[in-house]
Amino acid sequence: MSADAMESRLQASTVARRALAGLNPVLESLLAGVLGLLVGALLMKIWGYDPWKAYHALFVGAYGDSYGLASSLARGTPLILTALTFSICVRAGMFNIGAEGQVYLGAMAAVTVGYFSLPPGLHLIVGLLFAIIAGAIWSLGPAILKITRGVHEVISTIMFNWISHFLCYYLVANVLVDPIRGEKTISVPRSARFPILMRGTDLSYSLFAAVAFALVIYFILWHTVTGYEVRAAGLSPTAARYGGISSKRTMLLGFILGGMGAGLAGACIVMGLPPTYAEFSGLPQISNLGFDGMAVAMVGRTHPIGILVAAVFFGGLTAGGRTMQITAGVPLEMVRVVEGVIVTAMAIPELVRLFRFVWRRSSSLFAFRRAR
Amino acid sequence: MRKWGVWILVAAMLLAVPAFAGPALKGKVAVVLDVGGRGDLSFNDMGFKGTDQAAKDFGLQMTEVQSATAADYLPNIRNLARTKQYDLIICVGFLLGDALAQAAQEFPDQKFAIIDSVVDAPNVMSIVFRENEMSALVGALGGMLAAYHGYPYVGVVLGIEIPVLYHFEAGYRFGIAWGLEKYKAHEGLEALPNVGLLYVYTGTFDDIAKGKAATEAQLAQGAVAVYNVAGPLGIGDLEAITEWHNARGTKHGPPYYFGVDANQDYLGKGVHALASGMKRVDVGCYDAVKAVVEGTFQGGVVSLGLAEGGVSISGLQDLIDFIEFGIAGGALKRSEVYETVANWATNRAAIPYWIWEAVDELEKGILNGTIQVPTANTRDEMLAIRAQYPLTR
Amino acid sequence: MNPTAQTTEPGGEPKYFIRAEGITKVYSDGTVAVKDVDLEIHPREILGLLGENGAGKTTLTKILSGLLPPTKGRVVSPRGPVRFGSPREALEFGIGMVHQHFALVGTFTAAENVALSHRRPFGRLRLSEAKGRLEELMDASGLHVPLDVPVERLAVGEQQRVEILKVLSRDVDLLILDEPTSVLTPLEVDELFALLRRLKEGGKSIILITHKLKEVLAITDRIAVLRRGELVGDVEAAQTSPEKLARLMVGEALIAGKEAIELRTEELPRHEARREPRREGPGVLHVEGLTVRGDAKKIAVKDLSFDVYAGEIFGIAGVEGNGQTELVEALTGLRVPVKGTATIRGVEILGKDPREIYRLGVAHIPEDRWKRGLILQFTLAENAILGVQRWKEFRGPLSFLRWRKIREHVRALMKRFGIQATGPGAPAKSLSGGNQQKLIVGRELSKDPAIIIAAQPTRGLDISAAQYIRALLLEMRDAGRAILLVSADLDEVLALSDRMAIMYEGRFMTVGSPAGLDRQAIGMYMGGVVSASKEGA
Repeated sequence: MSADAMESRLQASTVARRALAGLNPVLESLLAGVLGLLVGALLMKIWGYDPWKAYHALFVGAYGDSYGLASSLARGTPLILTALTFSICVRAGMFNIGAEGQVYLGAMAAVTVGYFSLPPGLHLIVGLLFAIIAGAIWSLGPAILKITRGVHEVISTIMFNWISHFLCYYLVANVLVDPIRGEKTISVPRSARFPILMRGTDLSYSLFAAVAFALVIYFILWHTVTGYEVRAAGLSPTAARYGGISSKRTMLLGFILGGMGAGLAGACIVMGLPPTYAEFSGLPQISNLGFDGMAVAMVGRTHPIGILVAAVFFGGLTAGGRTMQITAGVPLEMVRVVEGVIVTAMAIPELVRLFRFVWRRSSSLFAFRRAR
Repeated sequence: MRKWGVWILVAAMLLAVPAFAGPALKGKVAVVLDVGGRGDLSFNDMGFKGTDQAAKDFGLQMTEVQSATAADYLPNIRNLARTKQYDLIICVGFLLGDALAQAAQEFPDQKFAIIDSVVDAPNVMSIVFRENEMSALVGALGGMLAAYHGYPYVGVVLGIEIPVLYHFEAGYRFGIAWGLEKYKAHEGLEALPNVGLLYVYTGTFDDIAKGKAATEAQLAQGAVAVYNVAGPLGIGDLEAITEWHNARGTKHGPPYYFGVDANQDYLGKGVHALASGMKRVDVGCYDAVKAVVEGTFQGGVVSLGLAEGGVSISGLQDLIDFIEFGIAGGALKRSEVYETVANWATNRAAIPYWIWEAVDELEKGILNGTIQVPTANTRDEMLAIRAQYPLTR
Repeated sequence: MNPTAQTTEPGGEPKYFIRAEGITKVYSDGTVAVKDVDLEIHPREILGLLGENGAGKTTLTKILSGLLPPTKGRVVSPRGPVRFGSPREALEFGIGMVHQHFALVGTFTAAENVALSHRRPFGRLRLSEAKGRLEELMDASGLHVPLDVPVERLAVGEQQRVEILKVLSRDVDLLILDEPTSVLTPLEVDELFALLRRLKEGGKSIILITHKLKEVLAITDRIAVLRRGELVGDVEAAQTSPEKLARLMVGEALIAGKEAIELRTEELPRHEARREPRREGPGVLHVEGLTVRGDAKKIAVKDLSFDVYAGEIFGIAGVEGNGQTELVEALTGLRVPVKGTATIRGVEILGKDPREIYRLGVAHIPEDRWKRGLILQFTLAENAILGVQRWKEFRGPLSFLRWRKIREHVRALMKRFGIQATGPGAPAKSLSGGNQQKLIVGRELSKDPAIIIAAQPTRGLDISAAQYIRALLLEMRDAGRAILLVSADLDEVLALSDRMAIMYEGRFMTVGSPAGLDRQAIGMYMGGVVSASKEGA
């Protein structure tokens, strides 16, 4: 290739990059969302469903009335927390996918409040503390492996997720099991439940716990020295070292804060979701909350405030997905395909950014340097 | 023990005749499925099939709602009930019980039915099955087959440890023990054949891979047949059995697959599926819709067993009926129908006739009340039955 | 001025393997890296390519090996002009390069690494075939490496041999080695040279890029000297001396020494009234017997002792890679030294955390402003507290950041140091290089330091920004601060330093006043040749 051609190609790509970089993130997300909706509509059209009716049902079911909105918020609540788990670690420069396993243990820890009684309120707080501590402790495994042995967190958190998965299967079936009903754990007593915020809906005061946690994380990351150091080490470990910041400390902190969020998410389910206030064999209420949280984090640009918005959006997709089945007759499988398309489209901008970042970091991690 | 439920049903049927004009209908019924979802060729598909058939027969519109997670159960029921457009909302599955208990309270004017669970509310018809009865028949067949073929074990792969599944396990245990006694008597043996039971609760109703893994483990220990008591997991169970045969170059004979809920004998072109413990969820759903249409709907428990045609062990007529079901579900091609029936018949014919007669004998005994099949509804009851029929080697 | 004008033997047979004709390379930022260079490479010879940092050695060889296209000029072979679109094409022609940074997969064995380099996209990896060929090649060249051990477990010298094998296995005629000895121990250097001689006898041509005078004289047949992109010498190794080479390398512009410096620094503020610093006893920074290992585990700083006093600039010159980076890192808490002591105003700093060291009054202007000095995604305000984030001015109760104070601080910095930016909230990456450096310098100087350690403080900056930074350093000196200036820009060190040292392979070749050093001596010291005039610290 001639130098001129190369030069012009370079310029073209710079222009393109500038144009994209100049795009407001909110606008970018909206554009991606519209694109996702269009592709989803096309898919439904192809398979013989009425996209207009379906999207109408989706919107009405999600935000059309106070019941819909409450349902959306209820479903978004735990996702706020698991999205924060992922985001905190991204900000600390890690790709932590361990929220899933931490949610499980958080839920188990919260269930244990059923074995003793305390005054209402205090009982709830003790349960939340249990869950938070359990999530944090579970996150310590991958954290310590990473800090002391350099084990990549993607590998270790996947493994820890499986350990947690089977451990909790065991706990549900054999340890925390309801003596009368073998398929579930004992239920969280009324004194330790989040009160329902709106009668006849799933929405409980757990929403406030999640929002409060998001705000706390926001303040820690952007308004405290500790958070500053976490973000600095996440963006540039070399510069952080220059700034006297210990990456090991910030990584540990990222894991622990994230684990706390995930543990709290587990508690929000068993202490805040009617009707059973217990976990079932097979963990059907809390499965995938950790992974869905990663998608929420992407759409919310790994920022606590963005995550709050994204979680309402995700909760809306689930709540609206129900009405899509009921009033538009779209089967759940297709509902999930359409939701998947929309979410993927909206997550792409952040995914691209993240992977470029992770790639750059890990290429420096994995590349063979003469330093060895 | 649930005889009174049957009497209610019978009474309801009788009372229905004069009121045949029925109430004003809104013209819609709904089915709510649990996380297992459609496509299991068993429990959930049967619930759908029965309701769908009833809707067609009575000119109603049907809505199907599946649940992505357990957190969707209550909202799904609420969303349907809130519309006030449904004559009946059927919840297919034990796991929906808690959610329905709550929803039934919130919507006292809405009629509900639930399969496999008892919800104590005036507006809920709770349809339960005596799975122990047909499981006893399947167990007897399994026990005799193990003794006949010289296998050390009979197997069963179960789902989540819920009371409904205790019914299966209890009946299966009883049946195996009964079958072994029968074998001893028929062959004039000194002692009972040394046959044990392999059972495992996989803790899931939707993870097919777990079914396959559990089956592989039981086959390796020498199970003559594996009874699927976990809906969709049967697909994995049968896969393991088919691979077992393929690896050894055998076509017919043990180890066999025992299907559940639906007639699953046609699965895998009937090569290894010998019999199914049928639980007619479709009949339960159909009857519930029918009761609403005919104005005979009443809250309370309806118990369906061998006597009511709610459960049975599969026969040729069932195979023919369910082949259509399998074709609709994409598990069988129309061109494979004759081959399937032939395979199934070959497999069955290879088993001594007296064994089939013995199974019939047990069925008759249960029907005329001379044989009582035990059942369990709690963990403690289950432990007692396990102690009574240990079936260890 | 073309010293190698003769191109054909009397018989008409071309005497050269390849020839560069009028090669010029201008990078997109306008830097002229290579200017109108003519150079022949003969068969069966070792050509030394000598020059300071930025002389254009690497750029020229990258053009020869197909990694970069020339802006002007062409590469000619006896059969006509050649154009390489990629290193692969150059390899096929018979030119291969071993870069300073090895391109090996650490977890792969030598055989796998070589097989990988032969792979066509989506092609099969012919491992056993590659191994067979490699064994033949090793026997033929006398170059032996363990084939079945992951290369990350090999010593650096062995890894380099794997790289050389990789290139040789492509049947090249010309092997280019970029600073091959910088990572090697003396014994490994001897082995490498023996190997290069064998390869030459086997008919290969070799280009050896280096800045080390002794080496280039020991091994090469011919030496080409580059200075600021121009070819300033092309001499037979047998007919030159370290002195001549040093003069060629450092350049005539410095002949007048003092005058040349004055020329470049006349715009700088002069503070004639400045008191001469007192140089008695231990300095603000006192270093004794400091020994530091580099990344390759090789000793990079050897038993170094020096003092930097208040009110002076102590400059360290030398070609990069001679231990300057490791020295600075050890003094700023970024690298743990092997032994020695270093004190700031009497307090030991070695082994301490960077933050504690800053507390003792150290400002550090790091050599890589993108990797160390700044976090590009961070805003100006966030960058302005890097390293001082825990200081009371910026940290309130509960470790809350006092953003209002920080923003005020940034505005003050912007004003005082003339940083052009939209505001404290602008991301650092939106700033020009000069403004980024001003931000770093501003941040460091605002620490009110006792000593400023400035590494390559003006690298890559335009003239006015560079002059501004230099003026600031002089101003700080005049205000009584101690300054340790480490720079590869010899002119800069000469112009700014009150005392200076020239560093070569981890040692100071000389320490003294810049005025007392003549240019030939400087060139010799930079090239590692000790002259009679060596003095102690």
